[in-house]
Amino acid sequence: MPVQPILRYPHPVLKKLCNRVEKIDVSIQALVQDLVDTMHEGPGSVGVAASQIGVTLRVCVVDVSKNRHGKENNHGLLCMINPEITGRSGSATMREGCMSVPDYTGDVDRATEITLQYRDPDGTVHLITASGFEAVAIQHEMDHLDGVLFLDRVTSIKTGLFRRKNY
Amino acid sequence: MTPQPEILHYAVTVVGKDRPGIVAAITGGLFNLGCNIADSSCTMLGGEFAMILIVSLKRPFSKARLIEELKPVCDQIGMSLGVRTLHPDEIVRQESDGEICMISVYGADQPGIVYRVTKELATRTINITDLNTKLIGTAEEPVYVLMLEVALPEGETPESVEQTLAALKKELHVEIGVRVITPVAF
Repeated sequence: MPVQPILRYPHPVLKKLCNRVEKIDVSIQALVQDLVDTMHEGPGSVGVAASQIGVTLRVCVVDVSKNRHGKENNHGLLCMINPEITGRSGSATMREGCMSVPDYTGDVDRATEITLQYRDPDGTVHLITASGFEAVAIQHEMDHLDGVLFLDRVTSIKTGLFRRKNY
Repeated sequence: MTPQPEILHYAVTVVGKDRPGIVAAITGGLFNLGCNIADSSCTMLGGEFAMILIVSLKRPFSKARLIEELKPVCDQIGMSLGVRTLHPDEIVRQESDGEICMISVYGADQPGIVYRVTKELATRTINITDLNTKLIGTAEEPVYVLMLEVALPEGETPESVEQTLAALKKELHVEIGVRVITPVAF
């Protein structure tokens, strides 16, 4: 399955509200596979949302299991269709960067624990509780589905001086 | 012969008593000149407002022209002005592969806190990328807070930096903490 190029702001798709997936079919499964492949292509990448590859559908993938922040606490590869956060608690600040906004980083407050519901590519409904780094990654990717970039959530204007090490 | 760069860069600093309208006045002057503001950082320090801007312009241009435009604006609002021409080498963003750390230092105010801490870092070629200090507490019990963002060179870890500063912590009776804030890639 092809790795897709990551769109960068100011591409207009990145600010679009994405549509719910009405029917999970082969095209959606192919989209999920593209997202997974694209995520794996970027060394260090822990998630990709459909809008980042130009598709305005509520689909994203997250996998923090290979990241040093997430390897102890994760659900492995999460392929999420129509994800919805139903509960959140706690708050922590982390300096974030995004493949769609290169060369900029900023501090963002996120919930430390979230409960969410989503469908996997087989259509099965999952209800999970994610915490720590995985919860941050999911919130970051889900923001993309609402056309929200981390720039919209930066709480400190101290900007990273350094180019990100990896994507 | 090296070709002359088409775009010229200057470092502009403006400092003076804070009041509303400083940024608009200065950036208005820059806008009139057709200047681009690349990187900038502006903040309140005590009752002063301090602006540092890297501005760029297309040739032909001169530092004198920049000063000629900005000086009257600064004079009018009581701000000091500094302009420095940047060498093309200075415009390139410095990159770091090491961890980015926040070092927090705080304790009873005393002379030399910033010097002693930064000297220790300098001897280990730890580069400071951001620093700010604030005097807090009361007149009777002044507390000094120093926050540094640093880029660690190869071979240094947050633990090794903490260890380096441990002696200083004891000697100055200050709290020193080091934590990793390297941005996370999504």
